[in-house]
Amino acid sequence: MVDFQLTKSQGQVKEFIHQFAESVVRPMSLQADREHHIPDDFLLRLAQMQLAFSGEVPVEVGGDGGGAGEAKDKRGKSQKNRFAMIGAEELSWGDASIILSLPGPGLGGPPVQFMGTPEQKERFFGVFKDRSQLHFGAYGLTEPGAGSDVSGISTSCRKEGREWILSGRKCFITNGGKADWVVIFATVDRAQGRAGHRAFVVEKGTPGFTVGKIEEKMGLRASETAELVLDEVRVPEDNLLGGEVHYLGKEGFMGAMKTFDSSRPMVGILAVGIARAAYEYARDFVRENYLLARAIPRYAQLATTLADMKRNIDAGRLMCWRAAWMADEGIGNAKEASMAKAYAARMAMKVCADAVQILGAHGLEQHQFVEKWYRDIKVYDIFEGTAQIQRIVIAKRILREPPTF
Amino acid sequence: MISFALDDDQQIIQQTVRKFAAEVLRPALRTWERERGVPAAARRSFHELGLGLIDVPEARGGAGMSALTSVVVHEELAFGDPAAAVALWAPHLAPAAIMELGDEAQGRRLLARFGERAEALGAVAYSESGNVPLAGFATVAEKVAGGFALRGKKAFVIHGGAADLTVVFAQVEPGRGWDGVGAFCVEGAVTQGARHDLLGLGAVHAAEIVLDGVVVPEENRLLGGADGFGPSLRRFFARAALTSAARQVGLARAAYEYALAYTQERHAFGKPVAHFQSIAFTLAEMHMDVEAARWMLWRAAASDGNLDLGLVAEAAVHANEAAWRVADNAVQLLGGAGYVQDYPVEKWLRDTKSLALCGPTSELQQLALASLELGHAVDGDGAGFPASAIQPIFT
Ligand SMILES: Cc1cc2nc3c(=O)[nH]c(=O)nc-3n(C[C@H](O)[C@H](O)[C@H](O)COP(=O)(O)OP(=O)(O)OC[C@H]3O[C@@H](n4cnc5c(N)ncnc54)[C@H](O)[C@@H]3O)c2cc1C
Repeated sequence: MVDFQLTKSQGQVKEFIHQFAESVVRPMSLQADREHHIPDDFLLRLAQMQLAFSGEVPVEVGGDGGGAGEAKDKRGKSQKNRFAMIGAEELSWGDASIILSLPGPGLGGPPVQFMGTPEQKERFFGVFKDRSQLHFGAYGLTEPGAGSDVSGISTSCRKEGREWILSGRKCFITNGGKADWVVIFATVDRAQGRAGHRAFVVEKGTPGFTVGKIEEKMGLRASETAELVLDEVRVPEDNLLGGEVHYLGKEGFMGAMKTFDSSRPMVGILAVGIARAAYEYARDFVRENYLLARAIPRYAQLATTLADMKRNIDAGRLMCWRAAWMADEGIGNAKEASMAKAYAARMAMKVCADAVQILGAHGLEQHQFVEKWYRDIKVYDIFEGTAQIQRIVIAKRILREPPTF
Repeated sequence: MISFALDDDQQIIQQTVRKFAAEVLRPALRTWERERGVPAAARRSFHELGLGLIDVPEARGGAGMSALTSVVVHEELAFGDPAAAVALWAPHLAPAAIMELGDEAQGRRLLARFGERAEALGAVAYSESGNVPLAGFATVAEKVAGGFALRGKKAFVIHGGAADLTVVFAQVEPGRGWDGVGAFCVEGAVTQGARHDLLGLGAVHAAEIVLDGVVVPEENRLLGGADGFGPSLRRFFARAALTSAARQVGLARAAYEYALAYTQERHAFGKPVAHFQSIAFTLAEMHMDVEAARWMLWRAAASDGNLDLGLVAEAAVHANEAAWRVADNAVQLLGGAGYVQDYPVEKWLRDTKSLALCGPTSELQQLALASLELGHAVDGDGAGFPASAIQPIFT
């Protein structure tokens, strides 16, 4: 049955995480942005609190995927992706950088999840059971010479005895500098394109594996974005994700891509969370302020802009929910995942720009939050596949498949 | 529980109407536009499919289907031809008005004709072409022996003058705006004024009606549901907006799918034009527009049991915007072919504008939404836009 109501437990999760986002996360937001850093003790405290709802937090952003979200619906279908949407929107509403800095496997989670052998999952996810210290995973695909065109990566790998030797350079890696391990994509032979790709888990401290520059960015300033240098790094063969058999077919590359079917709607809903934060802020500003001694809501054009913002946020959320629902139902959602991300990211950029506009000069003041969201949101149309790359994915699918309406 | 899955019976209805739309409506779209109407035979097939009173509760003589099933039907009909979707729906909005504003006995008595005869047409008359002053409509209902005498002129009435039953909104208490409005069911023919020549939806008969003292019996006055006339009126307009949004989604889908097929067949510079990135990206945009509009529509319709007027307004505005953009893109992607009448897309670009103006406009709905969100009425620049003017759609 077509339905858009949250279940009782989804409602509770939303409420709980919202409280957390409002009372714990948001108050740290401006300081973290200013200092380009989130205090470790704050993150540790979050890590401990996270235990309470880690099941609701998607693996991608630090949860362990257990908990209420694992509850199956009446037909035995998972609800995990829908729960993840609900929780992630609230956290992102709190602060975008902080959610990306929550301890956990981060973007490195999905490839280990999808490609890893049971032993590898045990080994690499096991690290996060220790809540006394901060532990991170990361995802290293992008290189100075290969971003959108993933097939063009040049970080090399060659096998010697029971080890692989990796050399190259990765850039823009979220949490790359502090990660306990990073999933590094490398190639055995550039001429083979995607078929030559291999994914390794490279552990911190491995000789030759060093952190280069930490980027200073327009937004998401409190989230670490690092350059990683691999200079003849020797990695044990057990760290090749999925083992060598995994790469005999086309699967190797598909593993990297499959990650996106769940991470793209996630990026989309994170954008929705930021947009909602900006919208609510602007709405409350309009409610409470006066212009030329008249209540601002009396200016119909501003009010209409607010209505537009709210409506488009709702539409963006539905696009993300749709992709997540398909994932839960086990229906292929590559196209819908890309649509969710592309639609939500663009919507959110417009909403954040409108929020700044509505606040007027106040919108530029750093303590008013919206200028921060305006800076944060831009990257949602860049990482995890740019706006253009999403449209390529969508277009390829619609030109190949019959209409699905 | 968030779900996008139609029930089995909804899927069957969807497929049945889709087939009807493809076989009967789409091929006739130009003929009916030229003839400025739909033929009796098509009305009969439509009637036989039982689509007239689908969302009217069984107690009032309808099929008792949900608002969601009903938007699925309207979407499919409009996918075939938006004009036919409007023209063929013989009861038109009258059942929605009677359902929301009338009681059960009125429902059974007044709606029976639509179940019995394919030719029975319904109409709802609210717009007037002159300035509508704050005081209310120029059309008045005056208490006389045996009921109310209606006097005035209504405009843009779909099936106006041709209908067997016309719901007329008239001022009972002049000077009180929407608070003084009453709704009356006129049975039998009313005098038709000029028929409108429209930008789109050419097959739709839309005309002025002239009320020259026709007397409506007391029992044909619709007084509103348990919560009063105002809230019932808002729900009526919401149902009209929901239907309109469904048609816009159907139209958008039609334009998108047509452009998708055309651009893959049409070659330029040695390859299908769809393989140029700017065209492919435009197709991707169109697809996203259709999807988002449809989920907004479904979300609003799924609130059926207690129709959420804010969600309906959002769905309506979203559908209006998306449909226009998609239709415009479709014309663009077909190039010159998009502009000529050998292809349907130019018609859709005209039709979408007409649909968008067939109910509460996007502008009004946006103001209503903003008022909802801000917790008090938005009144524009003070002079131009009184809150009372948006009251009927005000949630
Ligand atoms: C804050 C941040 C965090 C990030 N985190 C990670 C991470 O954790 N791990 C990781 O691996 N990467 C990460 N990235 C990298 C990110 O995924 C890439 O920046 C992104 O994929 C785009 O690649 P690029 O920057 O090389 O742009 P390019 O590929 O150089 O693209 C430049 C422009 O060309 C366009 N373009 C490219 N190809 C086409 C085409 N075929 N058709 C049309 N247009 C095209 C692009 O859309 C873009 O507009 C992060 C980036 C940022 C900014």
